Amino acid sequence: MRRKPITPMDPRASQYGIAPERVTKRMAAYPEMTSLLIKDLFADTPAVIYPHEEGLTTVRKAAEAALSRVDMSMIKPRDSVNVLASHHGFTLLGGEPYAELLRVVRDVIAERTGTDNIRLRAGVGLRFRETEEYIKRYRLDEHFKGKARGVAPIDEGVAIQTEIGTLYGIKAVYDADWIVHVHNSDVREVHFHRQVDRAVKPFGMSYARIETRSTYHWNMGPRGANFTARSIFESEFVKSKFAFAAFLNMSPSGVVGVTAENDLYVLNDQLTVEGLTYYGKIMTLLGEIDECIVGLDFPCPVPYVFAAGVIYANFVGANDDLFDLDKGLPPYTWYTEAFYDKSGKPLIDSIMPVNPAIKMVVHNYAWGGYPSAFFSEHIPTIVVGQQQAELFNQDPQNLSYMQYAVVANGLDEAMHFAYHAAKTDKVIIFDGAMGGINVSHSLADMLQAKAPAVAKRVDRELMPKWLKQRGVSPT
Amino acid sequence: MKVISLKPVVDQAKCIGCGICAKVCPAVAITVTAKKAVIAEEHCRGCGGCNQRCPVEAIAMVRMEKPYQVAVAIDDVDYQAITRLCVAAKLHPEQIICYCTTTRAEEVAAAILKGARSPEELSRQTGIRMGCKVECIQPVLRLLQAAGITPERPPGYQWYGLTPTVWDIPEAVKAKYNSRGFYFDEDIKLLEQVVHASVKKEEGK
Ligand code: SF4
Ligand code: SF4
Repeated sequence: MRRKPITPMDPRASQYGIAPERVTKRMAAYPEMTSLLIKDLFADTPAVIYPHEEGLTTVRKAAEAALSRVDMSMIKPRDSVNVLASHHGFTLLGGEPYAELLRVVRDVIAERTGTDNIRLRAGVGLRFRETEEYIKRYRLDEHFKGKARGVAPIDEGVAIQTEIGTLYGIKAVYDADWIVHVHNSDVREVHFHRQVDRAVKPFGMSYARIETRSTYHWNMGPRGANFTARSIFESEFVKSKFAFAAFLNMSPSGVVGVTAENDLYVLNDQLTVEGLTYYGKIMTLLGEIDECIVGLDFPCPVPYVFAAGVIYANFVGANDDLFDLDKGLPPYTWYTEAFYDKSGKPLIDSIMPVNPAIKMVVHNYAWGGYPSAFFSEHIPTIVVGQQQAELFNQDPQNLSYMQYAVVANGLDEAMHFAYHAAKTDKVIIFDGAMGGINVSHSLADMLQAKAPAVAKRVDRELMPKWLKQRGVSPT
Repeated sequence: MKVISLKPVVDQAKCIGCGICAKVCPAVAITVTAKKAVIAEEHCRGCGGCNQRCPVEAIAMVRMEKPYQVAVAIDDVDYQAITRLCVAAKLHPEQIICYCTTTRAEEVAAAILKGARSPEELSRQTGIRMGCKVECIQPVLRLLQAAGITPERPPGYQWYGLTPTVWDIPEAVKAKYNSRGFYFDEDIKLLEQVVHASVKKEEGK
């Protein structure tokens, strides 16, 4: 007896997506869909504290416990503190767990240090008002007593002297005596950071100016990219302001706990191991899929919609091992995207094609605000609804997305076409289902059959190699 | 090349004259006159940066009745000169250097060879940096530097300057971090393979 599909996250009102009422049907609603729980695929799946029957209380308690072990004595009663956040946390499990962590961090700093000058600075990716929307949605402005704001990479900058030269941060991120780095360990963009210095990444990205982000994506190479972040974090300027970090510790099934540390590198090493442990198996398993239709059905940009904690961009590269640092260019990353010539051929032979298992994409619901034309250019894509097509046509980052995609009036037509054209009944839905993954019955059978062998291979072969490549000990 | 299909419209009643839009505009198309933002439409390339940063949301992006295209032709420029400039910037002429507009290095190189002297001029002429407004500033500055040009910064935060590349990382720094999963020398090798991949156009000549 198969499980019912997991209810996907509701559409969100945002200037970057179509209005929620336009999303009239979800892919998980079809009778041929079922769900798999991560814990039923892999026996060593860690227990989660959220989702939980007690709701957010578990997150609050875990955050308080983790913060009780952190030294805050450097923060004096009259000091200013910037609590640094990033958009991504608000896309996890409905966003409330991350919002709650931010609230607890503020409460505990105020209580332990006596300062009331605590500001929230929430960084973004390429949708400059995204965290403004979240600040309103989660009423963080009230919690931070009117001192909450979104910051963007084109805002005024500050030069930061690093071991490799000058890089640039967002001035408003650093305009306090102390900074507190509040993030999450969801692996997300493995194609970019390659699970190297995951905990440090925001210093080179959501807290950084355009010059620094451009350094990451153009100047450093596909495996050196995240060194941009480390260079900034290693600078005297940043070190002199850094108080501590607090992370929502994630797994594909949900929140595993909260970790807080004064030494970011201790946390970094812990998260490197846990990230590989928690996500390595499911990513490898998804790479075993031989053919499928992909459904995009989640309120965030095309590459970031996710299934079982794995983002679509990583499934596009799942025909290779993204954690293996011997592999230079993943099938999709921005360096790879740049290296296709005008006729659409790779400039060098070692560039792998995008995941050939993806026969067709049904774009039922995903936002703009991220350059996504590569996906529709390389993979047959059906976009549901003229309004959604129009949204992309009006997005300066996606002016050619619809040049390569076709439009269906509704989801039913799109699915009908996809089944006929792709000639497979295997479907995987990237709809952010909590704790598991929504797939068709046929794909569920396949994943279940393959999971034990994948688990064995990851434990015995891949994990030791991944850890060695990162110079991290499993303990 | 970029098709411009959107234009910003300022709600004069809402505008408080703070000047932030002018400071972020990558095409330097905005001035503040009598405490109101004024947009020079002929320079605007529809990126929406002003709309996204105005603190009082006084700028709306509206569809243009007649979209138009900006592009710099490469056919009337010596392709070997284009290639030399790109390779000096450690870029392949046919590689993309702006993901949003799919602008390739050769077009920006051609614009520089034809006289463009700053990121702003390059944005106005080719449309580069007119999508996300974030990622492609370094290849633009690298190409200008390779042409021996040190552009003057406009009076805002449009861009601050060139940053280091993987080729600039001192050996001592590499040695310090190599064991942590940063494959610096391997990435240099890979990037150089791309830079020196055969240039079809040149071969055809
Ligand atoms: S180029 Fe961009 S920031 Fe400048 S006026 Fe036009 S839309 Fe606004
Ligand atoms: S950012 Fe907005 S308020 Fe400020 S000058 Fe420009 S239009 Fe006016």
